[in-house]
Amino acid sequence: MSLSSALQKLATYRASNTRASQETFETGLTVLNSGKQLDVEGWAFLEQLALAAIDVGRLDIADRCLKLLTDKFPRSPRVDVLAGIRMEATESLEVVLQYYDELLDEDSANAAAWKRRISVIRRTGRYDRAVEELSAYLDTFYTDLEGWLELADVYASCNQYTHALQALSHALLLAPQNPFTFLQFAETAYTAGDLPLALKMFLVVVDMGERDSDKDEPPVSINIRAWLGVKLCTRQLVSAPHSSSASNTPIPQKIKLIDELATERVLVSYHGEQDTGSRLVSSWLAPR
Amino acid sequence: MRQIFYDATFDFLRVSTMSSYTISGPAYYKVFFHAAKHPHKAVNGVFVGKLVNGAVLVEDAIPLLHHWTSLSPMMEIGLDLAGQYADSLGLTLVGYYQASDRLDDTSLVPVGEKIAGKLKAGFADAVAFVIDGEKLGTGEAALIPYVSSSSSSWRPYSGDVAPFAEKSKFKLAFNDLPQRAIALVRDEHLHRKFGDFDDHLEDVSIDWLRNKASLPAES
Repeated sequence: MSLSSALQKLATYRASNTRASQETFETGLTVLNSGKQLDVEGWAFLEQLALAAIDVGRLDIADRCLKLLTDKFPRSPRVDVLAGIRMEATESLEVVLQYYDELLDEDSANAAAWKRRISVIRRTGRYDRAVEELSAYLDTFYTDLEGWLELADVYASCNQYTHALQALSHALLLAPQNPFTFLQFAETAYTAGDLPLALKMFLVVVDMGERDSDKDEPPVSINIRAWLGVKLCTRQLVSAPHSSSASNTPIPQKIKLIDELATERVLVSYHGEQDTGSRLVSSWLAPR
Repeated sequence: MRQIFYDATFDFLRVSTMSSYTISGPAYYKVFFHAAKHPHKAVNGVFVGKLVNGAVLVEDAIPLLHHWTSLSPMMEIGLDLAGQYADSLGLTLVGYYQASDRLDDTSLVPVGEKIAGKLKAGFADAVAFVIDGEKLGTGEAALIPYVSSSSSSWRPYSGDVAPFAEKSKFKLAFNDLPQRAIALVRDEHLHRKFGDFDDHLEDVSIDWLRNKASLPAES
């Protein structure tokens, strides 16, 4: 791979937030060792390589990147946080927490340091404190989508699905165009036992995904999952049409038709696959 | 007093008759690949196998999720399909496995307890394993067994002999499986050819039930 195509690949990873640590590390290392003079983009590359190196356990390389970055940007909050993440790999949680506390004492608006701090608190298993801190953080940085998703995840991991749904509704407001957030909402609603709400949200995902595509094409990627979710809900709602909904979401009148459509859409997405897996799915879809 | 005596006796019997568990090559590899493919995420899945003369043979693993593991819809469908698949082979779902997103976290999460409890309702000797992140790279068996006397409380197995040590009730089909698994990931990158139910839902051509493409030729 040439140097420029390597850099291009890494830039694409950065743009799409891809955490392919092994690939990033291998590609990044060749660039680092080539001794190429770094331009503006290059500094972002060093940060990316340092993170990947920490992920794959090559702390020596992470330290090399960190040294270059610290020399170039002394006292940069962003580099400070990177140094903190590097510390997390080897230092005790108390030491790291104290480090982040110091960073926040200097600059309480250092959002990245605050988020790392919360993540470390979560790692100590003190979920109530993590929730408290995360809520305080989101009071200040309301538009941080990742923060709301994290809060939803903390709640879900403690079986507090109703609270998880509340956090996710903020995420939906902030990213109304992202089907994955709706999918997560739908699956959380299902887990919380609110089937009508789950169905409604699975249908939103389907609608977002198929809005611009040809209706005769088989569903792809996220839509297969959403249709399976629809089927899971309709199957139960057809046989129990008075299911309760904590959110008072009404059950669609044409629930039976939606159920049939879901069956058809899932079958179509397996069209052409003749293996055991698709046979099992067909039998799963069959009326019970 | 009497009641206590009986309980203790019963407990003793239960422990002494606890089944042994032997993990096959494919089952160990797949769990290892699943964890290796998503090093910073929680993953989970199930084991299929059978009971032969009081010994549970864990023959294969079916990987389920890595996107999020505490939500139930896709878990429900995946479990259903995995169970039917096991049936079609004359096997049963005999256990659950999970890896945490953190190396040092080896607790069985609430969702894991729930699923393991569900499996136990269908298979009395069901067991749960949590992947020991600290041991993954060491060449030791990186699985921590959790067992339960009722279906709701699961505890790390505590016997006289440490799991996977000599004479333990937990065995690997071959002692060098952990080293082999490391080599397969490091040298052949087989974990990249591996896919779970989450992957399958994005691309239905991914064979999550068998994962033949990810297994080394000999197994």
